Amino acid sequence: MAKIRTGPEEYSRPLRRLLVGLLVLLLLGLFLLWRIDSPRVERFRAALVDAVVPNMEWALVPVRKAMGMVEDFQSYTRIYEQNQELKRELQKMIAWKEAARQLGEQNARLLDLNKVRLDPQLTFITGQVLADSGSPFRQSVLLNVGARDGIRDGWACMDGLGFVGRISGVGERTSRVILVTDSNSRIPVTVQPAGQKALLSGDNSPLPLLEFVETADEVAPGDRVVTSGDGGVLPAGLLVGQVVRGADKRLRVVLSADYQRLEFLRVLRSHELEPLTDPGGLVAPPLLPSTPSAEVDDEGAAAAPPVEGGGDVGDAGSGDAEGQGAGAGGD
Amino acid sequence: MIGLWRAEHWGYRALFLGLAVLVLFIRLLPLGGDPGAFPGPDLMLCLIMAWVMRRPDFMPVGLVVLVVLVEDLILLRPPGLWTALVVLATEFIRSRAALTRELNFVVEWLLVTGLMVAMLLTYRLVFALALLPQPGFGYAVVQVLWSAVAYPFVVGASRLVLDLRKPATGETDDYGRRL
Repeated sequence: MAKIRTGPEEYSRPLRRLLVGLLVLLLLGLFLLWRIDSPRVERFRAALVDAVVPNMEWALVPVRKAMGMVEDFQSYTRIYEQNQELKRELQKMIAWKEAARQLGEQNARLLDLNKVRLDPQLTFITGQVLADSGSPFRQSVLLNVGARDGIRDGWACMDGLGFVGRISGVGERTSRVILVTDSNSRIPVTVQPAGQKALLSGDNSPLPLLEFVETADEVAPGDRVVTSGDGGVLPAGLLVGQVVRGADKRLRVVLSADYQRLEFLRVLRSHELEPLTDPGGLVAPPLLPSTPSAEVDDEGAAAAPPVEGGGDVGDAGSGDAEGQGAGAGGD
Repeated sequence: MIGLWRAEHWGYRALFLGLAVLVLFIRLLPLGGDPGAFPGPDLMLCLIMAWVMRRPDFMPVGLVVLVVLVEDLILLRPPGLWTALVVLATEFIRSRAALTRELNFVVEWLLVTGLMVAMLLTYRLVFALALLPQPGFGYAVVQVLWSAVAYPFVVGASRLVLDLRKPATGETDDYGRRL
């Protein structure tokens, strides 16, 4: 035991050298075996990995979680940058939104004017507001046009921007317009993007209520409100205003018309719908050329109403005659 | 031979085994490993080299073979070849224990780096002879350079934390025997 234990001779003894050499040869043999018969060695390797690595799962999981947390934290540090970026973007978007809103308003106005001009049945009479008889209980104005100008009860009145009200009471030279804000006013309307039908009922406040909405969830503040034309009194598609949610959490409408300055109003000539008195004729196959006279009669009757204009009796008569003619042709 | 069974030896051997498991564990962690990233140092090799250089009696061949062979298998290297090279390198250092005991650190470092380069070249040569696909030469050289850089740190850590050092001249163990 007096030998120097870490001396070179301890490691260079022949037996040890032989053993180490054998070991190296064994290892090289293993390598060659792997090279020649790879699948078998790989199966052994897979078995070893299967045995070892899942056992380390308990240690791998927390480290992996910690690394995930570090990565999350790194992403948190970028939040300020992202926030700044989003703020800039939002500012841009607000500008765009404003532009879009203005364009939408302009578009609505132009559409409105367009309709007035293009539909030959919707000519208008412009009247001047004589008196604004606004009171807490009655919201109405007097116009300087009346029965002698052909004004009739129920016609719609607009200022340049939107729907104001309808004629309710016609004198010889004046007529009264009941405004949308009046508590007696009930206007059937459509809320535009969703197409929801509703009733606009005035309550003497500047923002009339939107009542009887079909599906209130589909109506959002900012939606356009136009007349729906239901009931046959008012023409459809006149711009009324925008939906807002009032202080009492009910849906109300900001009117497009400028109620502060009602000077001139357009009274739209609308024509009463023809009452449907006939239950409908027989739907027959195309007529044979044996009765050409009935065809001519029909065409004449159909062409008649626009020429005659607003003659109610004439319209009804021609419609009647048409129905009878068609019935005769069918027979 | 009774000295082989002394508690200090087995303590250090268990310590080495634990360190090897730790290094292997770190290698297995799902960190980095991006394709195209340069490889880091081969810490296991540095550890073995440093320990064999310090105290060859703590590192029997069997332990080295066990650790490196398991590493071979788990890290999906061709089994046996790298182990054989490591055994040869450690035996080379071991047979020069009396010489390396007198060397200063810079020379030791150069020796270890040269050994690493020689191992790399042999490894790649065998790969080429066995017609095995192998990574680019640049990557392998980068790993060897990293290992050479890491070697002093491994030595320093072993010295400071684990109190592993070459026995001084005339130093005796607890039983009064010369080391």
